[in-house]
Amino acid sequence: MSTVLSIQHVSKSYGPVRALNDVSFDIPSGTVFGILGPNGSGKTTLLGITMDILKADSGSYRLLEEEPTEIQRKQIGTLLETPNFYHYLSAVRNLRIAAAIKGRGHDDIERVLKVVNLWERKDSAFSTFSLGMKQRLAIGAALLGDPEVLMFDEPTNGLDPVGIAEIRELIKKLRLQGKTIIMASHLLDEVEKVCTHVAILKKGHLITHGDVNEILANEDIVELAAADNGLLKKVITQFSGYSNMKEEDGMIRLYFPLGVANLEALNKHCFNGGVILNHLQVKKKSLEAKFFELTN
Amino acid sequence: MLKLLKIEWLKIKNYNAFIVLVSFFALGVVASNFIVYSTFNNSITKSAGVSMIMAAFNPYSFYNTWQTTSYVAGWILMLPSLLLIILVTNEFTYRTNRQNIIDGWSRNQFTSVKMMMALIAAILSTVLVFITALVFGAASHTDFSFNGISHVGFFFLKALSYNMLAIFMAVLIRRTGFAIAVFFIYMGAENIISQLLDVWSVKLRTQDNLDLGSMGDYLPMGASDGLLTFPKNNLRDIASSAFATNFTWLVLGIALAYLFIFYFFGKRRMLRSDL
Repeated sequence: MSTVLSIQHVSKSYGPVRALNDVSFDIPSGTVFGILGPNGSGKTTLLGITMDILKADSGSYRLLEEEPTEIQRKQIGTLLETPNFYHYLSAVRNLRIAAAIKGRGHDDIERVLKVVNLWERKDSAFSTFSLGMKQRLAIGAALLGDPEVLMFDEPTNGLDPVGIAEIRELIKKLRLQGKTIIMASHLLDEVEKVCTHVAILKKGHLITHGDVNEILANEDIVELAAADNGLLKKVITQFSGYSNMKEEDGMIRLYFPLGVANLEALNKHCFNGGVILNHLQVKKKSLEAKFFELTN
Repeated sequence: MLKLLKIEWLKIKNYNAFIVLVSFFALGVVASNFIVYSTFNNSITKSAGVSMIMAAFNPYSFYNTWQTTSYVAGWILMLPSLLLIILVTNEFTYRTNRQNIIDGWSRNQFTSVKMMMALIAAILSTVLVFITALVFGAASHTDFSFNGISHVGFFFLKALSYNMLAIFMAVLIRRTGFAIAVFFIYMGAENIISQLLDVWSVKLRTQDNLDLGSMGDYLPMGASDGLLTFPKNNLRDIASSAFATNFTWLVLGIALAYLFIFYFFGKRRMLRSDL
């Protein structure tokens, strides 16, 4: 598997603020790679550096396994931070400029405008668009020329629920076509639904990165409840294999190493100990919980 | 470069401010020269007293027409500069400078094409001045002559200096209103400083006491301004030349040096800073 983007020891400061601190990771091709972090964690700065609109203080990066130049950028469809268009020009005229810069013909403009549902408004000036329409035009511009790699920074910004669902479907479709999608977001729900890999940033530090299942599901959580939770707790203490036990929300949560939890054995143990369970369930940690755990 | 320029054309051809300012400038060049032209013509026919003197001097006869038209048109050169400031700062305001680079221009290409626009604007203004001078020259019924065509060249240099200063300010300041304000304030300030230096007689002299004019004539805009003067005639006070001809070359060199400074630092800023 080749590497689409390789980031090596990148650091960047804005005056006294350290926006990125020695960040390194690789983005393999064919993945949907989520870059997560709270507001101000350095996501956009990182993507901006890889697009040469920001200059890193130190460190380097490689695009498509080559030294980065404008040639690689032409092959990556990018939406960074805000939709950037000429306000006085229509959607079509704006896309003609983008297509010309990318070195592509005009023949793809109709397709992308239809994909993002803006074909009816193709001759309206950009300044007359709503926030969501501007965002969709920016996504359309990124799709021009059907690039193999797409980079979306907060792609669902300003979109209504239908628009968000459409973009999610679009990303899934692109993934099925074998495209690599790099997506920065603070909307965890969105990332959890589409990403295969994640990198988590906090205040410019890379906290963790890798396969989304490995990062999210490094523990199995088993929820148990019985009529008498006190007795249940006593019985559970004699059961081995879990790493931690917590009592919350009228339930007992047992934390097992990944893949170790055996519900049958647990159920049997409780029954033999005289406790009848009324709730027994394995829960994967939600990305949100994991995110708070990692970033707090 | 042609490819880049075609894309610039796509950006501006439907932009109202572009159309308005270009029309204003084109009209302005013709109209301002027409005013000077008719003023002189009227004074010849109407005021009998001066007519004897004026008749001997027609600013639009060949070869004066090259110099007069260039000088008069030089006064409205801020219009193309204003347009260039707007076009460049628009890119920063709309953040399309970022998008152009994201889409696949290099920073160098983005900067070069803007500098090229300054050059093209200067060339087109010069062509306009050339044609205007030709028409007014023909209207004054004198024999055609290329004598004094160097003034059209000086006009080109002045236009390029204004345009490059405009690009430089736009790249440095990035905000439309602020850049325009600084551009005009700078123009005014340089004039005042230049006048003060004159008043304080900060004169430059070489060893053989050749007068090299005032310090103020060597400031960025003064250098190219000084090359363009109203034609001399027997009414000496109508115009005074900032420079004696024997150091035109020196001033020319200095104007070119300023151009290079604008080019170099403008480009450096675009290549190195965050966008």
